Amino acid sequence: MRVLLVEDNGELVALLNKGLAQGGFSADSVATAGDAAHVLATMRYAAIVLDLGLPDDDGLTLLRDLRRRGDATPVLVLTARDGVSDRVNGLREGADDYMAKPFAMEELVARLQALLRRPGNLLGRRLVFGNVALDTEGRQVIVGGTVRAFPARETAVLEILLRRSGNVAPKRLFEDHLFGLSGDVGSNAVEVYVHRLRKMLADAGATVKIHTVRGVGYLMAEDKSG
Amino acid sequence: MKRFQSIISRVVALHVVAIGVTSILMPLALFLLLDQAANSLHRDALRSQASTIAGFLRPQPGGGVALDMPADLEPLYSGGYGLYAYAVLDQAGRVLFSSRIDGEALFPPDESRSGGWFMRRRGTGSVLLGITVVRTVGDRPYRIQVGQDLAHRDVIVDDIVSSFFPRVAWITFPILLALFLFDILVFRRALEPVRAASTTAATIGPMRTDVRLPEQSLPAEIVPLVRAVNRALDRLESGFRAQRDFTADMAHELRTPLSIMRARVDALEPGAARDALRADVVAMTRTVSQVLDIAELESFVVREDARADLQLVCAEAVGMMAPLAVDSAKVISLSGAEGPVWVRGHPEALFRAVRNLIENAIRHTPNGGAVDVEVSPDCVVRVLDDGPGVPEGERESIFRRFWRRDRRESGGRGLGLAIAARVAETHGGSIAVENRRGGGAAFTLRLQPAVVP
Repeated sequence: MRVLLVEDNGELVALLNKGLAQGGFSADSVATAGDAAHVLATMRYAAIVLDLGLPDDDGLTLLRDLRRRGDATPVLVLTARDGVSDRVNGLREGADDYMAKPFAMEELVARLQALLRRPGNLLGRRLVFGNVALDTEGRQVIVGGTVRAFPARETAVLEILLRRSGNVAPKRLFEDHLFGLSGDVGSNAVEVYVHRLRKMLADAGATVKIHTVRGVGYLMAEDKSG
Repeated sequence: MKRFQSIISRVVALHVVAIGVTSILMPLALFLLLDQAANSLHRDALRSQASTIAGFLRPQPGGGVALDMPADLEPLYSGGYGLYAYAVLDQAGRVLFSSRIDGEALFPPDESRSGGWFMRRRGTGSVLLGITVVRTVGDRPYRIQVGQDLAHRDVIVDDIVSSFFPRVAWITFPILLALFLFDILVFRRALEPVRAASTTAATIGPMRTDVRLPEQSLPAEIVPLVRAVNRALDRLESGFRAQRDFTADMAHELRTPLSIMRARVDALEPGAARDALRADVVAMTRTVSQVLDIAELESFVVREDARADLQLVCAEAVGMMAPLAVDSAKVISLSGAEGPVWVRGHPEALFRAVRNLIENAIRHTPNGGAVDVEVSPDCVVRVLDDGPGVPEGERESIFRRFWRRDRRESGGRGLGLAIAARVAETHGGSIAVENRRGGGAAFTLRLQPAVVP
């Protein structure tokens, strides 16, 4: 996977290159918005890691130009400007994700992978968390190396949780996915499917657990109790 | 001078004094003038009488004069009941003719007195007004004295003067009062632009540094003051802007080296040393972020018309903090309103306030405990925890920056609660903590409803 790294701090670029390489990415790096625009005019990348504080221009301007041209390359914005009034701006300009400096290298890699896994991207076929894996094409659930037969609805719930693993998946997301716009969603329908999936995973010996965040959604996390 | 703070009240007070003085002085002055006019009328009348009498003087062939007064005029001067008296004196001051019974002059002849005489009659005690006119009859000057008893003077003139106070003078007071009321109206109108400017000035605060007072339509005397205020506001705003710029620069300067440090640590071989370093960087990062948040919030401006869905803000904050809660085996939940709760506010600032409250709650809740975030439709968020609660004496100081229960204790509550309190302040809201009946603390963040566009 080739990504473009737009960052002006040389030391950070070297460290990022190393970290991205370990995460399975190879990165080209440029230090200015002008160079980035130049490179992007001829090259296509799987994703762009964009620092907002560039010496020649604001990274947001570059992002805006990119989107105006209809370029939908996923962009992960890095910024030292994580002020109260900055966060919203970054996402509104068309960034796909947003990370404040300093960040954990692992998280950068994970978020890049998540961006590339989004529907429409190639990297979305196999979702893994703990000892649970899901083949999104074949709709196959593998727990601890064994293929399990999960019903379609429970598999769909699992897919949503896996795509957001480590983060809370809002309840609305499940409702929309499971029942679409037409479906008659009972007040506890999602709860019922989550409950069933929870039981199936536990029975299969999964190392992950589904937590209910009442009022918000569900969160899949690695089970520490063993 | 605390008594007359407003210009109007000062004007009114001074006006009342002026009216008091004027309503005494003006009738007096008018009365004096009127009296003088009446006296001069009398004098003119007496002078014409004297001329008439002089006309009756006839020079005699052997020197001297004779007074040839028509009979019908005699009663006018008759000593007993006549209005007038006369005497004709020659140059030496001898009395030639006199209407008085005793044949004396009316008053002592004196060349210097040309105006008039006032003298008290001995017998009746009434006052006699008299004049002297000098006329030459047949080469010789004669002095004709004419006097009038003021006790019987001309009725009409007398009436005008004596009825001046009861009939005329009172009108000055209502006229002055009407003028006074009119002046108050005039002043109020004149000061209306000042009042409008004051209303505008009242809206200026840290929230609205962009407001300037209108300089048009203000009285010229006030314009310099308003201009000076506006200039001070310009400086204030540029100060705020400089502070914001500084915060942004500081963020960059602090976060970039931290990023490098973090990346270096992440690249180290796994082990206890790396984990310890990583924990240090994470703690440092948290402090830096909080300091930057506090610095930014110092000059943070929430627009009057800014709107945020408090329910959504809380859902996001709970969602963001849920992994942390789950990680330490705590249950976190969101309750209360299910639909949007629109408050006046900046979503990201409110998000940080709620996130810090949740972080604080998670930290003080024992493992296995629960944190609940409750949103009510009346723009209130309550963050409830299962912790030890907050002692009564600390419920104010807990929101101060870097406050710690014990100075020697490391890692206190830090800046999280101070950030939440500052966000509440910038939103014109409030924050408070109390203990729950069943144990644990309840932090209450109160906000204002959104301005309906």
